[in-house]
Amino acid sequence: MSRWLSVVVLVMLVLAAAMGLRGIVTSHSQVPVMEAAAGGPVPPSPWRAAGGPVPPSPWRAAGGPVPPSPWAK
Amino acid sequence: MLGSADYAIWLLAASCEACVVVCVFSTRSARRYLPIVFHMLGEFLATIGRFVIFRRYGYTSHEYFYFYYYSDALVVICLYFVLIGLFAQVFEEMKVSQYLRVAALLLLCGTAWITYSIVADSRGRLLTHFVVELSQNLYFVGVVLTYLLWGAVVKLQETRTRLVQLVLSLGVYFSAFAVTYALRNLYPGFSLWQYTPPLLGIALPAAWAYTFLKVPEGARLATAQVAAPGR
Repeated sequence: MSRWLSVVVLVMLVLAAAMGLRGIVTSHSQVPVMEAAAGGPVPPSPWRAAGGPVPPSPWRAAGGPVPPSPWAK
Repeated sequence: MLGSADYAIWLLAASCEACVVVCVFSTRSARRYLPIVFHMLGEFLATIGRFVIFRRYGYTSHEYFYFYYYSDALVVICLYFVLIGLFAQVFEEMKVSQYLRVAALLLLCGTAWITYSIVADSRGRLLTHFVVELSQNLYFVGVVLTYLLWGAVVKLQETRTRLVQLVLSLGVYFSAFAVTYALRNLYPGFSLWQYTPPLLGIALPAAWAYTFLKVPEGARLATAQVAAPGR
Protein backbone atom coordinates (compact mmCIF):
# COMPACT_ATOMS: atom_id res chain seq x y z
CA MET A 1 0.00 0.00 0.00
CA SER A 2 2.77 2.42 0.93
CA ARG A 3 4.47 1.76 -2.40
CA TRP A 4 1.34 2.74 -4.29
CA LEU A 5 1.02 5.88 -2.18
CA SER A 6 4.65 6.69 -2.98
CA VAL A 7 3.83 6.35 -6.68
CA VAL A 8 0.93 8.80 -6.33
CA VAL A 9 3.04 11.27 -4.34
CA LEU A 10 5.86 11.06 -6.90
CA VAL A 11 3.46 11.64 -9.79
CA MET A 12 1.98 14.68 -8.06
CA LEU A 13 5.45 16.04 -7.29
CA VAL A 14 6.55 15.67 -10.90
CA LEU A 15 3.35 17.35 -12.13
CA ALA A 16 3.74 20.23 -9.66
CA ALA A 17 7.39 20.68 -10.57
CA ALA A 18 6.67 20.62 -14.30
CA MET A 19 3.82 23.11 -14.09
CA GLY A 20 5.87 25.32 -11.75
CA LEU A 21 8.78 25.23 -14.18
CA ARG A 22 6.47 26.10 -17.02
CA GLY A 23 5.07 29.00 -15.03
CA ILE A 24 8.57 30.34 -14.34
CA VAL A 25 9.78 29.93 -17.91
CA THR A 26 6.69 31.43 -19.55
CA SER A 27 5.83 34.08 -16.96
CA HIS A 28 6.80 36.91 -19.31
CA SER A 29 5.72 35.05 -22.42
CA GLN A 30 5.47 36.92 -25.66
CA VAL A 31 6.08 33.85 -27.74
CA PRO A 32 2.74 32.06 -28.13
CA VAL A 33 3.82 28.46 -28.47
CA MET A 34 6.87 26.29 -28.17
CA GLU A 35 8.47 24.88 -31.29
CA ALA A 36 7.75 21.29 -32.14
CA ALA A 37 10.10 18.37 -32.00
CA ALA A 38 10.17 17.33 -35.65
CA GLY A 39 11.42 19.53 -38.48
CA GLY A 40 9.59 22.33 -40.27
CA PRO A 41 8.96 26.02 -39.63
CA VAL A 42 6.54 27.04 -36.87
CA PRO A 43 3.22 28.16 -38.36
CA PRO A 44 1.88 31.58 -37.42
CA SER A 45 -0.30 31.46 -34.32
CA PRO A 46 -4.05 31.92 -34.79
CA TRP A 47 -4.33 33.06 -31.15
CA ARG A 48 -2.98 36.52 -31.61
CA ALA A 49 -4.28 39.06 -29.17
CA ALA A 50 -7.01 41.29 -30.53
CA GLY A 51 -4.97 44.47 -30.61
CA GLY A 52 -1.35 45.29 -31.32
CA PRO A 53 0.99 44.60 -34.18
CA VAL A 54 1.74 41.10 -35.36
CA PRO A 55 5.32 40.15 -34.44
CA PRO A 56 7.58 39.33 -37.38
CA SER A 57 7.94 35.65 -38.08
CA PRO A 58 11.29 34.16 -37.10
CA TRP A 59 11.09 32.14 -40.31
CA ARG A 60 10.86 35.06 -42.72
CA ALA A 61 12.54 34.57 -46.05
CA ALA A 62 16.07 35.82 -46.45
CA GLY A 63 15.48 38.32 -49.23
CA GLY A 64 13.79 41.72 -49.06
CA PRO A 65 13.67 44.37 -46.39
CA VAL A 66 11.12 44.16 -43.58
CA PRO A 67 8.30 46.64 -44.23
CA PRO A 68 7.85 49.47 -41.73
CA SER A 69 5.32 48.80 -39.03
CA PRO A 70 1.97 50.55 -39.56
CA TRP A 71 1.73 50.99 -35.79
CA ALA A 72 4.95 52.98 -35.46
CA LYS A 73 4.60 56.75 -35.22
CA MET B 1 8.91 31.78 -48.63
CA LEU B 2 11.69 30.17 -46.66
CA GLY B 3 15.40 30.71 -47.10
CA SER B 4 17.84 28.04 -48.23
CA ALA B 5 19.13 27.67 -44.64
CA ASP B 6 15.60 26.78 -43.49
CA TYR B 7 15.26 24.13 -46.19
CA ALA B 8 18.73 22.79 -45.34
CA ILE B 9 17.79 22.47 -41.65
CA TRP B 10 14.54 20.78 -42.64
CA LEU B 11 16.35 18.25 -44.84
CA LEU B 12 19.03 17.64 -42.22
CA ALA B 13 16.38 17.00 -39.54
CA ALA B 14 14.65 14.38 -41.71
CA SER B 15 18.00 12.74 -42.55
CA CYS B 16 19.08 12.53 -38.88
CA GLU B 17 15.72 11.07 -37.84
CA ALA B 18 15.89 8.41 -40.56
CA CYS B 19 19.52 7.76 -39.62
CA VAL B 20 18.57 6.89 -36.02
CA VAL B 21 16.01 4.32 -37.19
CA VAL B 22 18.55 2.76 -39.57
CA CYS B 23 21.24 2.70 -36.85
CA VAL B 24 18.91 1.04 -34.32
CA PHE B 25 17.98 -1.69 -36.80
CA SER B 26 21.54 -2.15 -38.09
CA THR B 27 22.84 -2.68 -34.53
CA ARG B 28 19.97 -5.10 -33.79
CA SER B 29 18.77 -2.96 -30.85
CA ALA B 30 15.20 -2.45 -32.06
CA ARG B 31 13.59 -4.73 -29.48
CA ARG B 32 15.35 -3.08 -26.56
CA TYR B 33 14.80 0.47 -27.80
CA LEU B 34 11.37 0.11 -29.40
CA PRO B 35 10.01 3.46 -28.03
CA ILE B 36 13.00 5.27 -29.63
CA VAL B 37 12.27 3.58 -32.96
CA PHE B 38 8.60 4.63 -32.79
CA HIS B 39 9.50 8.16 -31.74
CA MET B 40 12.08 8.69 -34.47
CA LEU B 41 9.85 7.10 -37.09
CA GLY B 42 7.04 9.41 -35.95
CA GLU B 43 9.34 12.43 -36.14
CA PHE B 44 10.50 11.44 -39.61
CA LEU B 45 6.95 10.97 -40.88
CA ALA B 46 5.88 14.28 -39.27
CA THR B 47 8.80 16.10 -40.91
CA ILE B 48 8.00 14.65 -44.33
CA GLY B 49 4.25 15.26 -43.87
CA ARG B 50 4.86 18.88 -42.88
CA PHE B 51 6.97 19.42 -45.97
CA VAL B 52 4.32 17.93 -48.26
CA ILE B 53 1.55 20.04 -46.68
CA PHE B 54 3.77 23.12 -46.66
CA ARG B 55 4.42 22.73 -50.40
CA ARG B 56 0.80 22.03 -51.23
CA TYR B 57 -1.08 24.49 -49.01
CA GLY B 58 1.51 27.07 -47.92
CA TYR B 59 3.00 28.36 -44.71
CA THR B 60 0.01 30.35 -43.43
CA SER B 61 -2.59 27.71 -44.30
CA HIS B 62 -4.87 26.09 -41.75
CA GLU B 63 -3.82 22.69 -43.05
CA TYR B 64 -0.17 23.33 -42.19
CA PHE B 65 -1.08 24.78 -38.80
CA TYR B 66 -3.26 21.85 -37.80
CA PHE B 67 -0.89 19.20 -39.10
CA TYR B 68 2.07 20.88 -37.40
CA TYR B 69 0.57 20.97 -33.92
CA TYR B 70 -1.36 17.69 -34.04
CA SER B 71 1.70 15.83 -35.31
CA ASP B 72 3.77 17.57 -32.64
CA ALA B 73 1.45 16.33 -29.90
CA LEU B 74 1.78 12.75 -31.16
CA VAL B 75 5.56 13.04 -31.40
CA VAL B 76 5.80 14.47 -27.87
CA ILE B 77 3.63 11.66 -26.49
CA CYS B 78 6.03 9.21 -28.19
CA LEU B 79 8.94 11.08 -26.58
CA TYR B 80 7.22 10.69 -23.21
CA PHE B 81 7.13 6.93 -23.74
CA VAL B 82 10.82 6.99 -24.72
CA LEU B 83 11.52 8.51 -21.31
CA ILE B 84 9.37 5.89 -19.58
CA GLY B 85 11.23 3.18 -21.53
CA LEU B 86 14.55 4.57 -20.31
CA PHE B 87 13.19 4.63 -16.74
CA ALA B 88 12.22 0.96 -17.16
CA GLN B 89 15.76 0.11 -18.27
CA VAL B 90 17.40 1.98 -15.41
CA PHE B 91 15.11 0.34 -12.82
CA GLU B 92 14.88 -3.11 -14.48
CA GLU B 93 16.86 -4.86 -11.72
CA MET B 94 14.59 -3.46 -9.00
CA LYS B 95 11.49 -5.19 -10.47
CA VAL B 96 9.31 -2.09 -10.24
CA SER B 97 7.95 -2.15 -13.79
CA GLN B 98 4.36 -2.49 -12.53
CA TYR B 99 4.65 0.68 -10.43
CA LEU B 100 6.41 2.45 -13.29
CA ARG B 101 3.62 1.67 -15.74
CA VAL B 102 0.95 2.93 -13.34
CA ALA B 103 2.97 6.07 -12.55
CA ALA B 104 3.48 6.78 -16.26
CA LEU B 105 -0.23 6.42 -16.95
CA LEU B 106 -1.18 8.55 -13.92
CA LEU B 107 1.26 11.25 -14.96
CA LEU B 108 -0.03 11.33 -18.53
CA CYS B 109 -3.65 11.47 -17.33
CA GLY B 110 -2.76 14.15 -14.76
CA THR B 111 -1.06 16.27 -17.41
CA ALA B 112 -4.07 15.88 -19.70
CA TRP B 113 -6.42 16.87 -16.87
CA ILE B 114 -4.38 19.98 -15.99
CA THR B 115 -4.22 20.90 -19.66
CA TYR B 116 -7.98 20.55 -19.98
CA SER B 117 -8.42 22.77 -16.90
CA ILE B 118 -6.27 25.43 -18.58
CA VAL B 119 -8.10 25.41 -21.92
CA ALA B 120 -11.65 24.66 -20.71
CA ASP B 121 -12.61 28.34 -20.79
CA SER B 122 -11.44 28.98 -24.35
CA ARG B 123 -14.18 29.65 -26.87
CA GLY B 124 -14.05 27.44 -29.93
CA ARG B 125 -11.26 25.22 -31.20
CA LEU B 126 -11.08 23.61 -27.79
CA LEU B 127 -9.45 20.46 -29.14
CA THR B 128 -6.70 22.41 -30.94
CA HIS B 129 -6.01 24.50 -27.84
CA PHE B 130 -5.90 21.30 -25.83
CA VAL B 131 -3.48 19.61 -28.24
CA VAL B 132 -1.08 22.58 -28.31
CA GLU B 133 -1.16 23.02 -24.52
CA LEU B 134 -0.76 19.29 -23.92
CA SER B 135 2.38 19.09 -26.01
CA GLN B 136 3.85 22.10 -24.19
CA ASN B 137 2.99 20.69 -20.77
CA LEU B 138 4.49 17.34 -21.75
CA TYR B 139 7.71 19.14 -22.71
CA PHE B 140 8.01 20.45 -19.17
CA VAL B 141 7.04 17.09 -17.64
CA GLY B 142 9.81 15.67 -19.84
CA VAL B 143 12.31 18.16 -18.43
CA VAL B 144 11.49 17.16 -14.85
CA LEU B 145 11.44 13.42 -15.66
CA THR B 146 14.81 13.65 -17.39
CA TYR B 147 16.38 15.26 -14.33
CA LEU B 148 14.81 12.57 -12.13
CA LEU B 149 16.15 9.91 -14.48
CA TRP B 150 19.61 11.41 -14.40
CA GLY B 151 19.45 11.48 -10.60
CA ALA B 152 18.53 7.78 -10.63
CA VAL B 153 21.37 7.00 -13.05
CA VAL B 154 23.88 8.70 -10.73
CA LYS B 155 22.39 7.25 -7.53
CA LEU B 156 22.24 3.68 -8.87
CA GLN B 157 25.74 4.07 -10.36
CA GLU B 158 24.53 3.05 -13.79
CA THR B 159 27.48 2.10 -15.96
CA ARG B 160 25.83 1.17 -19.27
CA THR B 161 27.45 3.73 -21.57
CA ARG B 162 24.76 3.62 -24.20
CA LEU B 163 21.98 4.20 -21.69
CA VAL B 164 23.90 7.02 -19.99
CA GLN B 165 24.51 8.73 -23.34
CA LEU B 166 20.86 8.41 -24.37
CA VAL B 167 19.72 9.96 -21.07
CA LEU B 168 22.30 12.74 -21.25
CA SER B 169 21.31 13.62 -24.82
CA LEU B 170 17.69 13.89 -23.72
CA GLY B 171 18.71 16.03 -20.76
CA VAL B 172 20.63 18.43 -22.99
CA TYR B 173 17.74 18.54 -25.46
CA PHE B 174 15.00 19.30 -22.92
CA SER B 175 17.12 21.74 -20.92
CA ALA B 176 18.24 23.63 -24.03
CA PHE B 177 14.63 23.88 -25.22
CA ALA B 178 13.45 25.30 -21.91
CA VAL B 179 16.39 27.73 -21.71
CA THR B 180 15.88 28.87 -25.30
CA TYR B 181 12.19 29.41 -24.66
CA ALA B 182 12.89 31.45 -21.52
CA LEU B 183 15.59 33.52 -23.21
CA ARG B 184 13.39 34.14 -26.23
CA ASN B 185 10.79 35.61 -23.94
CA LEU B 186 13.40 37.79 -22.25
CA TYR B 187 15.18 38.91 -25.44
CA PRO B 188 12.67 38.51 -28.28
CA GLY B 189 14.70 40.68 -30.69
CA PHE B 190 17.80 38.48 -30.65
CA SER B 191 17.99 36.81 -34.06
CA LEU B 192 19.86 33.67 -32.90
CA TRP B 193 16.70 32.19 -31.35
CA GLN B 194 15.11 31.52 -34.73
CA TYR B 195 17.65 28.81 -35.55
CA THR B 196 18.13 27.35 -32.07
CA PRO B 197 15.00 25.13 -31.85
CA PRO B 198 15.44 23.55 -35.30
CA LEU B 199 19.12 22.95 -34.59
CA LEU B 200 18.18 21.31 -31.29
CA GLY B 201 15.74 19.17 -33.23
CA ILE B 202 18.71 17.95 -35.26
CA ALA B 203 21.06 17.59 -32.30
CA LEU B 204 18.97 14.95 -30.47
CA PRO B 205 18.67 12.46 -33.37
CA ALA B 206 22.31 13.13 -34.30
CA ALA B 207 23.44 12.32 -30.74
CA TRP B 208 21.28 9.19 -30.66
CA ALA B 209 22.51 8.03 -34.06
CA TYR B 210 26.11 8.47 -32.87
CA THR B 211 25.32 6.53 -29.68
CA PHE B 212 23.79 3.58 -31.53
CA LEU B 213 26.53 3.57 -34.14
CA LYS B 214 29.61 4.01 -31.98
CA VAL B 215 28.68 2.71 -28.51
CA PRO B 216 28.07 -1.06 -28.32
CA GLU B 217 25.34 -2.40 -26.03
CA GLY B 218 27.90 -4.08 -23.77
CA ALA B 219 30.06 -0.98 -23.24
CA ARG B 220 30.45 0.09 -19.61
CA LEU B 221 31.67 3.27 -17.95
CA ALA B 222 34.58 2.72 -15.59
CA THR B 223 33.26 5.10 -12.95
CA ALA B 224 34.37 2.98 -9.99
CA GLN B 225 38.02 3.01 -11.04
CA VAL B 226 37.88 6.73 -11.75
CA ALA B 227 36.28 7.50 -8.38
CA ALA B 228 38.54 5.25 -6.31
CA PRO B 229 41.76 4.43 -8.20
CA GLY B 230 43.56 3.12 -5.10
CA ARG B 231 41.10 0.35 -4.27
